[in-house]
Amino acid sequence: MPGKHLDEDQLCARCGDNVSVLTVRSEPLCRDCFLRYVHTKVIKRMESFRVRNAASDRPRKVLVPVSFGVSSVSLLHILDHHLKTQLAKTGRTGFDIVVAFVDSSAIETSPDPELRASLRDRYINHECQLLPLASIFDTDAGSTILGEYIPNMDSVEPSNPEEKLAALINSLDSATARADVQSTLRTRLLVQHAKSMDCEAILWGDSTTRLAEKTLSETAKGRGFSLPWVTGDGDSPLGITYHFPMRDLLKKELVSYAAMTDPPLTELIHSRVVTQSSTSSKNTTIDELMAQYFDSVEENFPSIVSNVVRTAGKLSTPSISGSPCGLCGNLAQPGRFGIEGWGGTQQKDSSTSNTSNLCYGCTRSLPKS
Amino acid sequence: MPPPPCALCTTNRAAIVRPKDHSKLCKSCFITVFETEIHHTITSNNLFHRGERIAIGASGGKDSTVLASVLKTLNERYDYGVELTLLSIDEGIKGYRDDSLETVKRNATQYSMPLTILGYAELYGWTMDQVVSQVGKKGNCTYCGVFRRQALDRGAARLGIQHVVTGHNADDVAETVLMNLLRADLPRLSRTTSIITSTPSTSDTTNIQRSKPLKYAYEKEIVLYAHHKGLDYFSTECIYSPEAFRGSARALIKNLERVRPSAILDIVRSGEDMAALCGPAPAHAADDGGGGCGRTESSDIGGAVAPGLEVEITSATVQKRGKKGGVAYVAPRQGKGQVMGKCEVCGYLSSQRVCKACVLLEGLRKGRARRGVEIEGGEGG
Ligand SMILES: [Zn+2]
Ligand SMILES: [Zn+2]
Repeated sequence: MPGKHLDEDQLCARCGDNVSVLTVRSEPLCRDCFLRYVHTKVIKRMESFRVRNAASDRPRKVLVPVSFGVSSVSLLHILDHHLKTQLAKTGRTGFDIVVAFVDSSAIETSPDPELRASLRDRYINHECQLLPLASIFDTDAGSTILGEYIPNMDSVEPSNPEEKLAALINSLDSATARADVQSTLRTRLLVQHAKSMDCEAILWGDSTTRLAEKTLSETAKGRGFSLPWVTGDGDSPLGITYHFPMRDLLKKELVSYAAMTDPPLTELIHSRVVTQSSTSSKNTTIDELMAQYFDSVEENFPSIVSNVVRTAGKLSTPSISGSPCGLCGNLAQPGRFGIEGWGGTQQKDSSTSNTSNLCYGCTRSLPKS
Repeated sequence: MPPPPCALCTTNRAAIVRPKDHSKLCKSCFITVFETEIHHTITSNNLFHRGERIAIGASGGKDSTVLASVLKTLNERYDYGVELTLLSIDEGIKGYRDDSLETVKRNATQYSMPLTILGYAELYGWTMDQVVSQVGKKGNCTYCGVFRRQALDRGAARLGIQHVVTGHNADDVAETVLMNLLRADLPRLSRTTSIITSTPSTSDTTNIQRSKPLKYAYEKEIVLYAHHKGLDYFSTECIYSPEAFRGSARALIKNLERVRPSAILDIVRSGEDMAALCGPAPAHAADDGGGGCGRTESSDIGGAVAPGLEVEITSATVQKRGKKGGVAYVAPRQGKGQVMGKCEVCGYLSSQRVCKACVLLEGLRKGRARRGVEIEGGEGG
């Protein structure tokens, strides 16, 4: 278990010279070897972005969204280090990074703006942009969502996008629905931004643990069909390529990593406080339940975490024949609202009046209106 | 403040908050809706055909008791024209089955259905109590699950019946979806979400079909239904409790249900959609849970997979069945190019030379022989 300190004289299993500082997947490692272990796991997933694959005239660009969680901050740090190494070795880099933060302060407590300033200062070489979540409504996808799914929007002055966002979120009937729609909007905004910045891909920071959480979470939200897209490397139905370079590292390993870099990344990380009471109340979200579940699974059955991700990885990508869901943009058969979505009732047998251009999962979150 | 009127009839006072969607219903509308949804499941999936004989896997627990009661009601109300019979398995767990089998016997009278009880002792030469004294309490669910699965099929075959219905509910299916994600078992995920499976039986000519008419029914609603109908069921959990890990998946599902009532069916839906992304269905280990301890097949969630016995019927073949009126059968295939054959010992369909049940039985016999020797040696010294 990373972070667990061992007998002082146990030597690192890799270099054999230094005293180990933690045990990773049953190997005692010293600090240097552990940092190298983390970097190698990430860089191995970045093979296609080697210097020799880059055209000399036009740099390849990738978007790195930073949420100020341990994974995305670590990813940025590792990629920054990787680019410096490429530059030192070959005089150029395989790709350029565009960093993006999404500001959702209109609807929730957000990371301190000072975190953004510190992060910008530390990774000064990369373009950084702050995107207000409400700016999703300036995009085509956003205006569709706005037009079709926000109830009583006529009564809200159209001038203020933040108010529109708040109206949309407040119209939802549960914490799970609010969190789900919010994260969907965030994803769509980031994709939109990546395209407008000419990025060919988005590099998401999800660790193995996070991908496992997402797999069960999306399953529980009725979006099992979308797992190959939202947890796998490759083309997303939103028209951009996704990569998950951190997929081979556990969250606890990244927590250790962030504390061991010099200087530590810890000061750049915004830790969300999940209180015990909130996990037992009706206002808990499905995502929070899964995070809590995998906290204990990672502790007691670490192999299960990678099992889940492996299972999701074995699913074949759905055939691209459905129509895009009006909210999440995944290709799917249209869902039906409420109890009719389950095919369990004969009260209003198979009426088509109740269908929508939303996928099954999104009909669970957006109000029927 | 008086209770609000029922959301369906708008006449009676609401007495029940429906677990599935939190709608407020009166007692009789709840019962009607519950039955109608199961009728819909049966008809939209073409589960039954007229003249068919159907064995209800009956444990005396709430699921199979509700299943028997609802099927009797629906068979009469909608004139399915099927012949229902109760089939019970006596695992030989003292104090557990003794009482629940009494319940099944009363159910047989209450529903005027014939009842057949088959014992593990009779089928395998071992009761579960004997198995536990041999292998200990850890891992005994593996035996119980494997034995029980074959037992229902063998029992049905003895009765000349080709269709067994089981009381698996939506919570069971959702739990299985999560468990199979946690153990990286995609083939089994694909099979356990399907409403109909076909189990090749000991005979060359008959295949036993399995189906789950309660697949979309919530456990909580089953309990409510049993309560409001005043059904007679036995409510003790198996005394040999399942592994802790499965318990954690169950707890997770209960938490999800609390946060979002539709979550159970949403997981079932996800499971069905994922099954469609698994490629062609291979034959593989069957663990679709079941009343009581039969839920657990393997305590090794790290990935060990038991050789398989059941074959999924895809929706395409289900339709075929509906048209021709016969039972379609998907040629058995095994993931790694293995061919399904017959167990050399018992003749049951198996991907291995010897089927899982016979492997377990052989292990038990060797264990007994060895222990016998040890005991003798101990006494001698
Ligand atoms: Zn959607
Ligand atoms: Zn055999």
